[in-house]
Amino acid sequence: MATIQLLLVDDEERFLNTTKILLEKRGIVTFTATNGADALKTMNEHRIDVVILDVKMPGIDGLEVLRKTKQKHPLVEVIMLTGHATVESAVEGLKLGAFDYVKKPCDISDLIPKVNEAYDKKHAMEEKIRKALIDKIIRHPMAVFEKEN
Amino acid sequence: MILTRGLAGPSITLMLVCGVLVYYFAAYSREQVETKLVRIASDHRQLVDQFLEERLSDLQFAAFFYSIAEISDPKRLTELFRRLLSRSRAFFDLGVFDEKGNHLAYAGPFDLAGKNYAETEWFKAVEREGRYISDIFLGYRNIPHFIIAIRRDEGDRTWYLRATVDTLFFNDLVENIRVGKSGEAYLVNRKGILQTRRRSGGRLMETDSDYGFYRINKDRVASFFTGKYSDHRYLYAVESLKQTGWDLVVRQEVSDAFAPLTRAVLVAVFVIAAGGAVVVIMAYILASGLANRLTLADIEKQQMKTQLIMAGKFAEIGEMSTGLAHEINNPLQVMKAERMLIQELISDVEKNNPSIDPDNMGLIKDSVEQIDIQIERCSRITQGLLNFARKTEAVMKPVTMQEFLPEMVRMIEQKALLENVRIIQKIESELPPLMSDPNQLQQVFLNLLNNAIHALRGKDSAEIRINASHEDAFIEVSIADNGCGISPENMERIFLPFFTTKPPGQGTGLGLSTVYGIVKGLGGEITATSELNAGSVFNLHLPLESVGKEENTD
Repeated sequence: MATIQLLLVDDEERFLNTTKILLEKRGIVTFTATNGADALKTMNEHRIDVVILDVKMPGIDGLEVLRKTKQKHPLVEVIMLTGHATVESAVEGLKLGAFDYVKKPCDISDLIPKVNEAYDKKHAMEEKIRKALIDKIIRHPMAVFEKEN
Repeated sequence: MILTRGLAGPSITLMLVCGVLVYYFAAYSREQVETKLVRIASDHRQLVDQFLEERLSDLQFAAFFYSIAEISDPKRLTELFRRLLSRSRAFFDLGVFDEKGNHLAYAGPFDLAGKNYAETEWFKAVEREGRYISDIFLGYRNIPHFIIAIRRDEGDRTWYLRATVDTLFFNDLVENIRVGKSGEAYLVNRKGILQTRRRSGGRLMETDSDYGFYRINKDRVASFFTGKYSDHRYLYAVESLKQTGWDLVVRQEVSDAFAPLTRAVLVAVFVIAAGGAVVVIMAYILASGLANRLTLADIEKQQMKTQLIMAGKFAEIGEMSTGLAHEINNPLQVMKAERMLIQELISDVEKNNPSIDPDNMGLIKDSVEQIDIQIERCSRITQGLLNFARKTEAVMKPVTMQEFLPEMVRMIEQKALLENVRIIQKIESELPPLMSDPNQLQQVFLNLLNNAIHALRGKDSAEIRINASHEDAFIEVSIADNGCGISPENMERIFLPFFTTKPPGQGTGLGLSTVYGIVKGLGGEITATSELNAGSVFNLHLPLESVGKEENTD
């Protein structure tokens, strides 16, 4: 099983660094971004499995980042991190396809299981897609060329 | 104030009009009464005068036709007397006297001839004046009568004719005058001696004690005078007789004379007073009704204003709380991550250096533990703030109050028992289920019940009454205690975060603010009323279908 590649987005740099250390210790490859633009850029450059996303950020808002992520990388699972456990933003996030949300302040130990779950979900989804593709190719070998278009 | 101002103008005008009317009416009536008395006096004076005049003429006429020789004849005199009697039954007897006062002849029931009257007062008067009418006297016969005497100059001789006139005539004429209940008439001579009987007391020949009073106004033909006679005040009309100088007096008790007037004035005053009273009462009722309504409207307005201000304040504080919570949660998150890192670093250090001082390591671990505890504490506070600002998620489920409330009571029963608090539940059995968040409701009721128990600490016959009823699309729950109550100054602030009356360290002041936030979040209302040292009531107004429900099921 491949290692989880995680992107942590928050405007608190110190939090990013410390959490990165903690996550890497647990074998999770961690990228960080202090704003939405950087986050989206990182997702384009690297294979990202799970994003931990602060809802409230300067620049592009967390929800906006979520929306764009889901557009460009529908399989990437997003865990929302919210400073005020607002029903509104949490519900909004879930509606936009977030995997879950976590209230600040949270323990890393609480975060890890959710990350694993999210990764599992993504992994399962990718498996399904692969299987579907294989099925398709087996039934219609010409489809391989279609896909490449 | 409205009352006084509104009533003063009209009522003063009304009173003035009525007063003037009554005054003129009274003056007019008084004049009427007085005129009536004067007329009676004047009419009767004329009658009496006429009577005296006639009797005098009778005698003069008789004397003119006879010579002394003829008239001294008893037969002739008796004849004359009979003829005079036919003119008037008032004649009693008739006598002839010579110039020396010797009684020459007499016709009448008594035998009086032969006596000499030269020294009597009447003889002297008639000798001097030529004619004379005496005052009434009793004389030999002890019957009230008076004398009419005239002088006849026949050539060189002078003789006198004298008649005695029965006063019964006067008594009948004068005494029969009746005016009202007490009105009467009588005659008095120049000395104030009664010449006729007076009905209200005063026999013939007695002196009228009031004489002095009404004689003062004598120069007027008819005069009025109210004198004091025993307990009664009288109205007098006095007319002087031409022939004798007597006075005909008509008098009536003032109270009697003005009785109809007094009655009329009393009725008028009563009607005015009663009317005025009715007007005043009606005005009072109307005005006080109006004033009450105004006061109520004022109070309502004040309450509305207070509620609006409170709502605005709460919204502001809610906004601030959310911001504050967020701003604190972020650093808390950083601290938490740091703490985690420290913990892991310590483990690593311990693993790599087994020789490290275990005591110090223990202290460091304990310190890190403490940081975690304090972060948790801060986190709870920010959570409380967020609760007030209604930023927590509600999980809606049907809740039946008739099961839910007793369950809440069971949870605090033990504590209540310890504090000697009786809990009385009055919950309607047919309450419809309510779509709400049972966890949040539990937080609300436990908070309110705990507060109630706290307010009842050390109180005798302490009790909490829980009432639940159903009204339209709402469930009404009230929790009332008879505890220490809340002062009016504190009342405004009880739902604000961090407001507490407990000593520092014993309460965060987030209890009621959380309750408020939750109830608002569930689409309900919470209000409180309280009286110091009498107790407090918290009223919850919970919708059957919560507004928050929609947000969650989408």
